[in-house]
Amino acid sequence: MALLEVDNISKRFGGLLALNDVSFSVEKGEILGIIGPNGAGKTTLFSVISGFAPPSSGEVRFDGQRITGISPDRLTRRGLVRSFQLVQTFADMTTLEVVTTAALTRRPIREAIDYAAAVLTRVGLGGKLDETPATLSLQDKKLLEVAKCVATDPQCILLDEVMAGLTMAETEAPMQIIRELNQSGVTIVMVEHVMPVIMRMATRMVVINFGEKIGEGTPDEIIKDQRVIDAYFGEHLDA
Amino acid sequence: MIGKGFYQTLASPWLWGVLAVAACLPLVLNSYHLHLLTLALVYVALASAWNIVGGMAGQISLAHSLFIGTGAMLSTALLLKFGINMWAGLVIAAAISGALGAMIAWIDFRFQLGHLSFVLITLAFAEMGAIIVEGWEFLGGASGLLLPRDTGDLLAFQFGGGHGAFWVMLGLAAIIVLVNVAILNAPLGYYLRTIRDNEKAAQAIGVNVLRHKITAMTISAVLTSIVGTCYVRYLTFADPYLLATPTITIEIVLFATVGGLGRPFGPALGALLLVPLGEVLRGQLGGAVPGLHYFIYGVVVIVVILATPRGLLPLAERAWRGLRRRGPEPRPASVS
Repeated sequence: MALLEVDNISKRFGGLLALNDVSFSVEKGEILGIIGPNGAGKTTLFSVISGFAPPSSGEVRFDGQRITGISPDRLTRRGLVRSFQLVQTFADMTTLEVVTTAALTRRPIREAIDYAAAVLTRVGLGGKLDETPATLSLQDKKLLEVAKCVATDPQCILLDEVMAGLTMAETEAPMQIIRELNQSGVTIVMVEHVMPVIMRMATRMVVINFGEKIGEGTPDEIIKDQRVIDAYFGEHLDA
Repeated sequence: MIGKGFYQTLASPWLWGVLAVAACLPLVLNSYHLHLLTLALVYVALASAWNIVGGMAGQISLAHSLFIGTGAMLSTALLLKFGINMWAGLVIAAAISGALGAMIAWIDFRFQLGHLSFVLITLAFAEMGAIIVEGWEFLGGASGLLLPRDTGDLLAFQFGGGHGAFWVMLGLAAIIVLVNVAILNAPLGYYLRTIRDNEKAAQAIGVNVLRHKITAMTISAVLTSIVGTCYVRYLTFADPYLLATPTITIEIVLFATVGGLGRPFGPALGALLLVPLGEVLRGQLGGAVPGLHYFIYGVVVIVVILATPRGLLPLAERAWRGLRRRGPEPRPASVS
């Protein structure tokens, strides 16, 4: 059964068509990877799905119900949560307090604090509960983004480039966490730039270029798709 | 509902010890010192009520003279013009203040005001309120209203002058500080701080920004209005220039900032230090060189803010921990 359905979404910023008639669906329990070159419209797509930006046309359905026009906080409470590509900072709160706020989505305060500590420990930030997010390393900030999402007890997580800027070795920890999450029943949609990562993680992939969907399939199918190769490596010049 | 921190504070012998000692002060202080302390407690209450919006939610509201003015001028007018008991007047004024606060928070959200616009809009509301009070005879106009003499009739909202007023203000200030502690340890406190630090990220983790901003502003406005009613009873004279103009809000913001924004005891500390300082400076120097007391007061405030931008309370907390441990600081206060 499709948990998330994106139907003919277009998004226009003034004269710029950032998304043009994009459609795909996400099955319950899968890891869907969304790839595309810089500026292809991946983050815009996430903003539309998660309620931060209304689409110019088209609709999004979650769990069979239309969610276009619903505010991001309500979507999070309904089980659809996103992370941010640009890591979000909090000037005067500790990581534990930030993740506790996320945990309050579905839990009473005392339980939320314990649960937040458990989630932070699970992503590997157990020793940094009292640190302020601004002082964390880039890798830890990315892990905090994941922890915030997990603490809301979602059905579906939209991860926006949680591996970007990390070394290959550093991507191991988040990859392991995302797999475990997926095994516990959480559906994952991830935008990623790091091709080796997404190739290993995704069960299925959607490719976007210039705001349009240009390909869809398993990772093996995608790397053989000529349009995808053209989009990523440029067209062949030899004729 | 509320986290452990609140109950730990409630169970703290320090809290009850300080309150018990404070409650005995009217028996030993002369009337001038008692007046100074009562005044300081008024501002402890006001700055702590403001802290819920300004400190925790990070919304620098300059609208609070509106709520003080409603609490003070309206309840007085209702008593003098319609004979409405001031207890009822307190409740009516608090309800109206709460509604005004909710409306301002809604406007802020509806029009997505940034921080600066919020400050200016709230200031504009406060100025409008001041003009209405000064222009409307019912609320006393420019000359103000005089309450009947305080005979100590509790049912008529009279507390018997100096001692009674002090105890009322002590109780009210303590309750409002404890409301701060409760909110900070409740879900609302987490929501407000997340909204303050990063509104977009707060929404993404499920925080209903509008609802919590309205809740914070309403609670703050209701508490502020109640302090306004009690303050005017202490003053006996409902002076629109003192109680309904934005100057009083600026003072509140100043005390809260110097003490430590967003922390439950910060604004209280700021008011307890600065109110007596201002009054003593005026008493000692006001007659000698006109304006000198303002100058010294200003210099003190500037030095404090430059030395400890997050307020005196974080500084005091560090000193206290240092004294107890006599060791190196484990985690320096975060500055970002």
